[in-house]
Formats: sequence, structure tokens, C-alpha cells
Amino acid sequence: MGNVKKTVWMHKKKVYFLFGLTLMLGFAIVAQAYAITSIVDGVFLKEQTFFSVIPWLIALLFLLLVRSSTDYLSKRIGVSIASEVKGDTRSKLLKKYVSNSVQLAEKGQTGKKVSMLLDGVDEMDSFYSQFIPQVMQSTFVPILMLIVISTQHMNSGIILVVSAPFIPIYMIVIGIKTQKKSEEKLEKLASFSGKFLETLQGLVTLKLFAQTNRQKEELEKSSLSFRDTTLDILKIAFTQSFALELISMLSIGIVALELAIQLIIYESISFFTAFLILILVPEFYSSLKELGVTFHNGRSSMGAAKKVLEVFEEEDEPTLWGKQTFPEWEVPPTIQLDQVNFTYSNTNFRLHTVTATFLPKQQIAIVGASGAGKTTLLHLISGMLTPDKGSIYINQEELTKYTESAWLEQISYISQNPSIFSGTIGENIAMGTTEEVGLETVKAAAQLAGLALLIETLEQGFDTRIGEAGRGLSSGEKQRVSIARAFLKKPHIVLLDEPTRGLDLATEKILQQSIQKLNETATVITVAHRLHTIKNADQILFLENGKLQAIGTHETLLENSPAYKELVMIQKGRIQE
Amino acid sequence: MRALQKIMKLMLIEKKDIAIAVICGFIAGISSVGLFAASGYLISKSALIPPFYTLIILTSTVKLLGLIKAGAKYGERLYSHRATFTILSNVRIAFYEKLTPLVPRIFHKYRSGDLLARVVGDVESLQNFFLRVFYPPIVLLLVFVSTILFVRFYSIAIALILLLGFFLTTIIIPALFSLKQVKIKGNVRDERGNLSTHITELMYGFRELKLFHQLPAKQKMLLRQSESYIVHQKEENLNKVSSQSFNGFITFITSWLVIGVGAYFVANGMLEGIFLAMLVMISLTVFEPAAPMAVFPVYMQESRDASTRLYEVVEDLRFIGDKRETSINELPSHAPSLVFLDIQFTYRGDWRKTIPNLSFTMPAGTKTAIVGASGSGKSTILQLILKLQHIDAGKIFWGEYDTSTVADKAIWKQARVVLQENYYFYGTIRENLQLAESQLSDTQMKAALKKAQLEHFSLEHHVLEKGENLSGGEKQRLAIARAFLKKGHLWVLDEPTSSLDAQTEQKVYEEIFACAEQDTLILVSHRLHGLEHMDQIIVMDQGEIIESGSYRELMNKQDYFYKMKVLEESLL
Repeated sequence: MGNVKKTVWMHKKKVYFLFGLTLMLGFAIVAQAYAITSIVDGVFLKEQTFFSVIPWLIALLFLLLVRSSTDYLSKRIGVSIASEVKGDTRSKLLKKYVSNSVQLAEKGQTGKKVSMLLDGVDEMDSFYSQFIPQVMQSTFVPILMLIVISTQHMNSGIILVVSAPFIPIYMIVIGIKTQKKSEEKLEKLASFSGKFLETLQGLVTLKLFAQTNRQKEELEKSSLSFRDTTLDILKIAFTQSFALELISMLSIGIVALELAIQLIIYESISFFTAFLILILVPEFYSSLKELGVTFHNGRSSMGAAKKVLEVFEEEDEPTLWGKQTFPEWEVPPTIQLDQVNFTYSNTNFRLHTVTATFLPKQQIAIVGASGAGKTTLLHLISGMLTPDKGSIYINQEELTKYTESAWLEQISYISQNPSIFSGTIGENIAMGTTEEVGLETVKAAAQLAGLALLIETLEQGFDTRIGEAGRGLSSGEKQRVSIARAFLKKPHIVLLDEPTRGLDLATEKILQQSIQKLNETATVITVAHRLHTIKNADQILFLENGKLQAIGTHETLLENSPAYKELVMIQKGRIQE
Repeated sequence: MRALQKIMKLMLIEKKDIAIAVICGFIAGISSVGLFAASGYLISKSALIPPFYTLIILTSTVKLLGLIKAGAKYGERLYSHRATFTILSNVRIAFYEKLTPLVPRIFHKYRSGDLLARVVGDVESLQNFFLRVFYPPIVLLLVFVSTILFVRFYSIAIALILLLGFFLTTIIIPALFSLKQVKIKGNVRDERGNLSTHITELMYGFRELKLFHQLPAKQKMLLRQSESYIVHQKEENLNKVSSQSFNGFITFITSWLVIGVGAYFVANGMLEGIFLAMLVMISLTVFEPAAPMAVFPVYMQESRDASTRLYEVVEDLRFIGDKRETSINELPSHAPSLVFLDIQFTYRGDWRKTIPNLSFTMPAGTKTAIVGASGSGKSTILQLILKLQHIDAGKIFWGEYDTSTVADKAIWKQARVVLQENYYFYGTIRENLQLAESQLSDTQMKAALKKAQLEHFSLEHHVLEKGENLSGGEKQRLAIARAFLKKGHLWVLDEPTSSLDAQTEQKVYEEIFACAEQDTLILVSHRLHGLEHMDQIIVMDQGEIIESGSYRELMNKQDYFYKMKVLEESLL
């Protein structure tokens, strides 16, 4: 609740303006009633001419204008506050997500984050655009009505005061308790659209088994039972409304009766007073009812706002960087890992004390069963994670002395499932570097990555749009784009996460060739899944359960590490290489 | 508009509930107006010191009307919501029926989930059609007409003023607002789509963007898009707010005119003063049911768009008009031969030919494996055999029959199918198995489970929607168990053991081959082991057959298949 309040008060000026408008609205309502009563009283009882009531008519018109404009302006301000809050929140939320280390970004929460950034923020809208202005009005107006009515005629005021609390009390004591239960149930049931989607998803299976008719009947049955259950819950809400409606209608009736009695029997009040009260009383009750409705709606929109703001309270895993930049190197730097340790805070998986040295232009392979920590090690080298203990040295200087961008300039990363972004093929390849590159450079990189043939078959060549809104690429083609990115950048260090399976032979060949070519100018560090890669490696880091079990060449490890031997020989086939 | 008309027809099936809701709504509206009118009259009468019984009658009327209003409102809410949910159910069923013959041909190659999600979203949004588009104007019309007829007795001029007010607030202003809304809504939708793409790409491609140091640039683009989206949303909201306020202002002006004209008439003796208060109260309250008209255009637009999109999907001539003459409704019940002759096929939305030109033969009773990299077209072949997709050119023969003349159902009756994505329904294992055939004994089902290496499952074991509580391997084996229980002499298996370890896979294959001994079998596989005993292996790449032959033949050739085998052996 505190967070939400804070966001509202960030727009102090507008909120104060809203207060002012609400006051104006309240007084306009009272004045309007006064004007109407004067006119009616004037011509009905006081036998005035039309002329004499014209000033009141003009005043009334003006007041109605005021009433409409204050309503309009309040709503406008609400919309404007909502827009600002949304823009601000989305920007802050994005910053928060972006500052997270890659670990958090990979934990399968991506779908939720996408939905939070888009719909989550959108759902905050009604809280600021509707709830805030409404709650001000619905609180102030009844109070004002009550005061004015009581000063005019105490008895009416008493009736109002006695009947009015029933409405919020009813809502608070009984209403909210049952509403909460029903809200929970309703939420569960609201997922019926999920059920419908799942039925549609199963249509192919159903067709193959000739069960579509049976499922149709099931769908109808459950749809209707959903209806009945929902109605049962809604009936609770409707009964409440019925009771509230009844209370307010009967109260209005009692007020009217009391006024009539005063008029006729006691002759203690004037028609003017009676009619004035009669006009104001409905405003009183409708504002109270609106207050109830507003709170009811406000709870769900407040919940939406809270959900988003809660994200800001989540923990970060910051990475440590310095201020220096690297000098221009002729050859790749020597990389030293000195007792590097890292623990994930979510899963408590720990990568222990890894110590290794990578000499320039070596081919390094990281090998282990799945879950052994290979990708973690790769992320530590790439700088996406910072070691908890121990250090990484680049040419004998600690990596943390340098800026993040300086390090990222030196490396290329080829992942298992490369991401393609909306844009042209050319742009997707050119992403590999932040420098400006000409078409020729891009073409050369594409050629090296085996993409030239494909691009020639496209009418728009490098300008062909791919990604979400464009042409689909096969996984082999995506891999080649990823390789092309690396060729474009000509980095000193290449990090490669080998795809495990599914690549076509041509792409496999290109991948192998590319590693060799890149190795001519860069150190290549690979999470390896292929015997070929391991056999060619200058050094293999064999990981098991987060520990560096052994380090050396393929032959050395075969001799000295039985676990390594077992892992590598599992796929032993009848083929001799 | 035509699409909406069709939805309306669906809606009007629920005549009874709709009628009750309308009547209740009308009564609620009228009694509300009556209540305040009577109060106004009561006060005016009281000012003239009437006899006491008049007072009693009037106040009783007021109280009674109050009771009626509350009761009618309850009935209105109940029946209008009941109607809404029943209508929603009818719409769901209608579109389920329409989609059944079209699926999966209408899916794009890469984004099948999108289409269905959109269909469901559109169907669910139609629940607002009755409650907020169809219903309010009708009740409003009835209440207004009755009120105006009543007022006519007292003053025709005032009745005319109310009529004018009605036209403005119910028809003219919502129409004007609606025109503006159409334009704005289109913009908002486009902007939202763009923003969604940006967000998805940034979040899913986060790691690469970070490593390419493209994150700051992408962030900026995203925020710029967000601002643009918010600006358009603001425009939409302000439009809504303007309409609401303007509508409210018009109702005020109408009341103001009533007061002015009424005062004039009373002052000049053309109207009895005692009725003025009543008429004023009527003019103040009669517009209460008009409030929903301010947002009517929003929902109207939404319903129109949703229904148009839905009918575009289910009435797509490319797929509907595909009703070739299927004269054969029953296929002979023995293992068929399969022949593909010059087949051409492109997936919907695919920019290059999925299968440019393909031919092969599978003699009856033989076992064929189709292998190749992902995206090579293997699964597509299976889909074409099963007529889940339709070929663009060429012929497929099942035995001696051209499958374009054979009804889908006939093929499915003779096929035992395990797809890459199989569906499991909420219920028990038994119920999921009974999908294959309803008259199955427990013994038969248990035997199938055993063969599929699922002995540890009891038939009562609970299955959640989509089989969420089962592991990948369990799901696959359940699908295989279903295939064991189904009748048919053609086995169509699409990577049926991809989630199983080598040992289990071998056992399952043994059972399948035993069971399918006399049958024709096609197996799509990513993995290349266990294929030694296949009669034919077809190797595919980019929709074309690169090699085909027996295992021995292909290994001796030392070409594509051989190289794939070598590669696979070298994978850790």
C-alpha cells in the first residue's frame, strides 16, 4: 500500500488540483439544487413571472456547466496521472530487469516479465485514472450533502445519518468477507477461457481419435456448469446490491414522507426547504453507492498496481565493474581463472574453485554432464556473472578493473538458441558489433558463415526482414547468423555454447570450419558436446557437480580420469573416426 | 457488420433469458423514474395541504416503487448475466465446431499458439456484446418511450425536449464518438503490437543483446515505443472521457430546458404548478439508464472487431473451399502401401516451399524411417499422409486409392498415430486411453500400459489438463499405449521416443515392432540408432529426399546418412 501511495503523491500538484475540483463539484451540486428549487418554488408557489426566474435559469446553466467541466477536468487529470505513472513505471521496471544478471534472466521467468512489462503496467491505469478521482468525489460529496441537508432540516439529516452507515457497514462486515471468497472463486473460474483454449489445442488429437463430438458435449456441459457456479457467486453480490438499493430507496421514501408530514401536519417547513432536500438526498445515496462500487473496483486495480510495484523489491545480483579500458592488442590476452567461486542465490548451485590459464589462441573445451556448471563457467568468463570469491585476470590485470563495455568489445558469444531480432538479415548480422559497418563487411561475414547462398535466393537479399514480423529461419540458418555475427566482430575471444543436436549436416560443417577460422585470431572457449571439438582442444576443463575435476588434453584425461572416460565413451559406436 | 449479425443470431437463441432481463430492466428503469416523479408530486401536493389519505397513498406508492425497483434490478442483473454466460457458451461451441475441420491447416508453421490464443480472446470478449452493446439501448428505448408518453399528457413541449435529449445521448453522440474511436483504436492496437514485439525480443534475447552491447540501444527503442503507445492510449481514454462528460452535459442541458420551459408554462398558466416538481424530478432521473451509452461505442467496436476476426479465420476460403469430392468413406482393413507422387506443399505463412517436389513408395507391410535435421520436412510428410495438411500438387495413394478422394475420417480410422504434440485430457489414465476406443476392458488397457513400459501407472491415476502432472517420457509412453489400443494397420509415429532413455526406447520399439508385424509403419526419428531393421530409411534435407535405401545400403554408400551417423556417434 505504501508503494502505491508514494506513486500517487509524486504528482502532488495534480492531486491538489483534483482536490480543488472536487470541492468545486460539491458546491456546484448544492448550488444547482438551490437554483432549481428557487425556480420551481418561484413559479409554483410564489406566483412569480417567468422573467423573474430568468436570472436563476442562467445561474443554473452556468452551474451545470461548472458541474460538467469539473467532472471532465477531474477525469482528464486522472488520465494524465495514469499515463505518467505508466510511462515512468515501465521505464523503471525495464531498468530493473535489464540490470539483473543473466542468471535471473534465464530462470524461465521471461514470460512473466514480458507480461508484466506490457499488461501488468497497463492494468495499473484504472487505479490512477478512475479510482483516485472517483474516491475523492464519492467521499466529499456525501459529507457535503449531509451537512447541507442537516442544516436545512435536522430530521432529514438524522434519517440520513442513521441509514447511511448501513451501506458501508454492510459492505465492510458482511460484504467484504463473502466478496473475498467469491473473488477467489471467480478468479479460478475466470480461467475458463484457459480451458477453452486447451480444448482447442487438443483438437488435432481429438480428430485422430474421432472424439470431437464427445468433447464438444463436454465443452458445452462444463461451459454451462461454469455459468451456474459463477451465477451462484454473483447472486451474493446481487443480493447485496438489492439490500443496498432497498435501504437507499426506502430511506428516500422515509425522507419524503417525513418532509410531507412536516409540510402538511406541522407546517413547520417550507416547500422550498422540502424540495431542496428532496433533490439533494438522491445525490447523497448515489454517491455512497458509488463509493462502495469504487472501493470494490479499486481493490482489484490497486492489486494490479501493487503487483507491479512489488517487483522493485526483489533482490538484485549486481556485477562488479571498474573504469579502465583495454589497450589495443595484437593477439588475444591470456586469461587466468584463480580459484573462481560462484553460488546462485536462488538454487544454491555452486561452482567451486576453478583455476585455469588460457593462453592466446588456444582452443579450450568445457566438458561435463548436464548440470555440471559448464554454462555458469562460460558466463563467468563472459563477465555476465561476477565471482563471489577468486578472480579472473586478463593479461595479469583483474577483470573487475575494467568497464563492462570494454570487456564486451573483446568477446563474441555464439549460443545454442541464437536470438533473431526484428529487422533485416543485414541488421541482424551487424548486431555483432557496435561500430558502424558497411555492406561489404557484412557480406564477407555472411560468406564465411555459409549464408551467402541463402541470401542470394532472397529477392531482397540482405534487406529481407526476419524476426517476429518477418521471414522465418530454420535453426541451422539462425546458427549461421550467429556465427556471422562473430566473424563480423573479429573478437579476441570467442565463447561458444555448442548446440547439442538437430543441426543439419551443412551447418555442422560450417560450425566446425568456423571454429577453426575464428581460432586463427582468437582464443576459442567452447562448452563442448562433440568428440571432434574435444579432440582438437588444447585444454579440456572437465566439470562434475560444480567442481573442476581435471584439466588437460583429451589423451591425458582419458588416462587419468575414469569419470571423463566414461562420459566420453557413452556414445561409443561402431564407427571409427 | 455481417459478422456481428451472425453473432446476434447466435445470441438470440437465448430468447427467454434475454426477454426476462429486458422486462426486468424496463421495470427497474420505469419504477426508478416513477419513484422520483411520485416524490416530486408528493412534495408539491403536500405544499398545498391535501387530505391525509392522499399523503398515505402517495408515500405508499413511493415505498412500493422503491421495493419494485430494487427487486427488478436484482432480476435484471441475474438474468442478464445468465444470458451472457449462456450466450458465451453457445459462441464457444459454434466456433469449436467451425474450427474442427480447419485445424491444423490454418496454423502458421512457427506460431500456431498465437492463432488459437487470439480466437479464445476474441470469443471471450464477445461476452460484452450482449451486456453492453445489445441490451442497454433496448432498455433505454423502452424506458424513454414510456416516460415520454407519460409526460405527453402534461406537456407536449417537455415531452419533445426529452425526446431530443434521448436522441442526442443515445444515438447521435455515441455515433460521433464511435467514428473517432474506430481510428484511435486501430492506432492503439498497432502500437501495442509493436511494443509487444520489442518487449518479447528484448526479454528473450536479453543475453545476446547484453553481449553484443546492444542493450542500451534496444532499451531506448523500447521506451520510445512505450511512450508512443501510452500517448495513443491516452488519446483513447480522453476520447472516452470526453464522450462521457459531454453526454452528461447534454443530459443536464435537457433537464435545464425542461425546467426553463416548464417554469415558463407554469408562469403563464399553461401548466399546473403542482406538476412542475414532478416533471423536473423525471428529467433528472430518466437519464440514469443512459449512462452505459457513453461507453457503448467502445464495446461495439470491440465486438465488431472480434467477430470480424473470428469469421475471417473460420470462413477463410482457402481452407473452406477445400471440399474436394471425397467419395470413399471406408478403407479396407489391411496394411496399405503408400505412394507419394510429385508432392508439392507449402505451410501457411512459409515463404519458401516446404516440400518442392517429392516422390517415394512404401510397400504394404514395410517399416520405413524418415530422418533428417529439424526443419527438413519429416513431420510434414506424416501430416500429409494423415491429411492434417493438404498437398498443393501431386498425389498420395493409399493402396489403390487416391487419398484426395478418401474422407479424413476413413484414414484416421485405419491409422495408429503418435505425434510430437499429443493431447491429454483432464481425467484418469483410463479415460485418456479410452480415447482410442470406448469399449476397452481393463485387462486390455493394462496390457497396453505394460507394453509401453508404463506398468507403474494404475488406470485410476489422475491426469491434469495437457498432462501437466506427467513427465515428458510418461506422456510419450501414454501416447504409445493409446496407439497400441487403437485399431488400424498403418502406424504413423513422429519422434515417439525422443524423451526416453536408450534402454526404455529399445524395449518400446521391440513391442511396437512385434505388434506391427503385419502392418505398414512410418517412423520419424531424430536419433539414428535402432534403425538397423527398417526396410527403408529416407533421408531428408530442406524438403527433399537426399538418400533412401536400407540401413546397410546407406552405410555402405558412406554419404549423407553415414555422415549423420558419424556425427551422432560423436555427440556427448
